[in-house]
Amino acid sequence: MSVCPPYAPFFGFGGVASAMIFSTVGVAYGTSKSGIGIAGLGTFKPELIMKSLIPVVMSGIIAVYGLVVSVLISGGLKATDYSLYAGFIHLGAGLACGFTGLAAGYAIGYVGDSCVRAYVYESKVFVTMVLILIFAEVLGLYGLIVALIMNARVSEASGCP
Amino acid sequence: MSEQAAIGKLAAQADQSEGALFKLMITALALGIAPLSSYFLSRDYLWNGNTIYAALTAILAANLVLVAYITEAVREESLSRARDKRREPENKKDR
Repeated sequence: MSVCPPYAPFFGFGGVASAMIFSTVGVAYGTSKSGIGIAGLGTFKPELIMKSLIPVVMSGIIAVYGLVVSVLISGGLKATDYSLYAGFIHLGAGLACGFTGLAAGYAIGYVGDSCVRAYVYESKVFVTMVLILIFAEVLGLYGLIVALIMNARVSEASGCP
Repeated sequence: MSEQAAIGKLAAQADQSEGALFKLMITALALGIAPLSSYFLSRDYLWNGNTIYAALTAILAANLVLVAYITEAVREESLSRARDKRREPENKKDR
């Protein structure tokens, strides 16, 4: 059982891929679900469309979180002298960011859809919608912070024997 | 007469939506370009290779784009509401 097996980069690249893949799935869900509500609002009040597109923009921010973590992790991957410890750290960081992005996108989708539909009838729903969306987006931010903290421990790994 | 009013309203709406489309494209491009460029530039020139601070800078840039979009949307809505309020007394005078 060596410290630096040749299959260690598999886990590292798995972390890079999962950060991007799962956060994108969440963003796709959030964008499409709130897009349904925006299409419904657009038939009644087209002048409110710019404000009602805020859930879509916030979903895009979640995708940016996944992208930043992917870029961050892939900057630390090496062909040789890459320990299994570093591979597991990178996998954990990618999974943390990916799944929290999935959760955040899911929340943004539901909240965006129903709040945008309610915005047709009551304009005070707008501030409520932005507040709830900020709380939903912060979920993705927490996952990114955990990924950053985990990624900082990679340099602790001793070199390969 | 009502047909002309309807066509005029459609043209005015098309004008508004063209500006909205342009702003949306700018926002989409900024959401893609700003975080990545700020990550790499700040990592190389600002934080001396520290990747955590560079990632935090990228997050800050992405959230700034979001705040700019929200501010612009609220400002445009209040502008269009003021414009509609100014236009309505004129219609009553024409009658």
